[in-house]
Amino acid sequence: MKIAVLVKEVPDLEALVKVAEGGASVEVEKKRCLSFFDEIAVEAALRAKAARGGSVVAISAGAGTGVEAVRRALAMGADGALLVDDPALGGADSLAVARALAALCRREGFDLVLAGRQATDDEAGLIGPMVAELLGLPCVIGVTALELEDGAARVSRETDRGTEVLRTPLPALLTAEKGLAEPRVPQVMGLMKAMRAQPPKVTLAELGLEAPAPTPVAGYRGPAKRPPVKLLEGEPATVAAELVKSLREEARVL
Amino acid sequence: MDFRLTEEQEFFRTAVADTVDRLILPRVAEIDEADAIPADLWREFTGLGYLGLRYPEELGGMNADPVTCMLFYEELARGSVGFAQAVIMNMLMGTHFLYRFGSPALRERCLLPALRGDKIATMCFTEDQSGSDLASTRTLAQKVDGGWVLTGTKNWITNGPTADFATVLATTDPAKGMKALNFFLVEKGTAGFRPGQLLHKLGARGPACGELVLEEVFVPEENLLGEEPGKGVAYLGEILNEVRCMTGAMALGMARTAYADGLEYARKRQAFGKPIGEYQLIRAKIAQMATDLEAARLMVYWVAWMIGQGQNPRKEAAMAKMFATEACLKVADEVTRIYGANGFASEYGPQRYFRDARFLLYGGGTHEIIQDFVGREIIRER
Repeated sequence: MKIAVLVKEVPDLEALVKVAEGGASVEVEKKRCLSFFDEIAVEAALRAKAARGGSVVAISAGAGTGVEAVRRALAMGADGALLVDDPALGGADSLAVARALAALCRREGFDLVLAGRQATDDEAGLIGPMVAELLGLPCVIGVTALELEDGAARVSRETDRGTEVLRTPLPALLTAEKGLAEPRVPQVMGLMKAMRAQPPKVTLAELGLEAPAPTPVAGYRGPAKRPPVKLLEGEPATVAAELVKSLREEARVL
Repeated sequence: MDFRLTEEQEFFRTAVADTVDRLILPRVAEIDEADAIPADLWREFTGLGYLGLRYPEELGGMNADPVTCMLFYEELARGSVGFAQAVIMNMLMGTHFLYRFGSPALRERCLLPALRGDKIATMCFTEDQSGSDLASTRTLAQKVDGGWVLTGTKNWITNGPTADFATVLATTDPAKGMKALNFFLVEKGTAGFRPGQLLHKLGARGPACGELVLEEVFVPEENLLGEEPGKGVAYLGEILNEVRCMTGAMALGMARTAYADGLEYARKRQAFGKPIGEYQLIRAKIAQMATDLEAARLMVYWVAWMIGQGQNPRKEAAMAKMFATEACLKVADEVTRIYGANGFASEYGPQRYFRDARFLLYGGGTHEIIQDFVGREIIRER
């Protein structure tokens, strides 16, 4: 079974993010890592390989980014890695990235494509379904359990009404939700080997794609400062009445 | 002069830090409270392949340079001093002489499993009347046909009660002091070899620690770890700098955790309407701690670099161990003050740092011994 995992390199959750004066750009500390849900997808892919045999290839697309993400996947045990690396992907929107990933997946041919539910930087959650649509594959979003059968996959996902169990023919694209698999901590030899890995790179032209027009960003704004805490004191009944009044009239949440 | 780590060292540090964050930090209070190393954590961590770090690749190791090793020790102790102690005993003191002098059979039976974490190793120096004063070692090794008979009691043995094998320091003649010391490998299950009384430590809790008793323990000739009898002290000299530097690196790691907690608390805790970090006296503590940490870091890595260059920085290794450990003690103390009464509650980290820091005072020589040694080296330099 040939498995692809679509991975994204994102700023580490502890990286400092600063919006430039005037909001024209945003500066992010250069601490990069594999996106949280993608790491779960890699783990699920490795387990699928352990159960059914085959290979796992980590794939990323960007302008000079992605190496750290696929290296982490290699350290965890992925068999190979591929990058779409093209300056034209700098500032590209989700659809342009999805087109690049889909073109590479089509060229390689996979029985199963896994991706994270969403990236921890933009949290768009678009890549998985877009790639599925471009490849004409069945797609299940937010998978919490995966069991492979011959030519099909039984997957679970959480809904408001409870757990939904679906069966999809393969090839298919699944996006990983928290709980699907606890990512392993890589072995040190794997890490050091992955550190030196130079994954093969392809350009958009090599995939027969045109350079996308970058998405113009109107501006950036930092999160609002937390308003001061208001402490209510007095008799419980009075305080409760005051609290309800504040929630209704000031916070307007009731 | 170049103070930068190599790209590979930086990557390695990040990898170890990530592993420590994921596996060890969430368990640190549990390790301290139970005074035991959780078996599942030991298995998972040792399964990652770090234990062979300083050994050649043919033994499953990484042949890492001393700076890389120190990065590992520092990061590990940033997570848990107790857990770090257990791991480092298997990686360094507990296996070094076996690696240097063990027969192929002994290496196969003890060293390789220890580097995989399947066997627990330890090193026995201390006795009730000797520790830093190794010349007073009384555990006796008598030559007999085909081997040696060992008799004595070792104390303060980290991993001792759980160890599968021990490198034991013994004298062939107490009257000859330092000139009659040797290392012997003794395996669990050897007749007359047993754990004695357990010690309950104030800090650095986790690995079992206590006595190991040797009552006429026979070991075959090949268990003498050394080319010839009487060279134990010379062999010890091979790793003493590394051991002292390692203790400094552990102190540095632990101090970083304490400092980070103290800093966070100073930024968040409010008093008289503003964060306590806005007050000069708290800022002075932060400045002093940060300065001590940077100085300790420079000393530890400078010594590690010298060892890697093949130098023999005896004095500097002792100084780095002493400085980093004292800095760690000061940081742990100041952080309990920044925390106020919360620093005294077991629900918060500082009380543990305060206890753990004290443990690092003794390993690799007490600071009284180290000061005497460094002072003597300097006085005699002319």
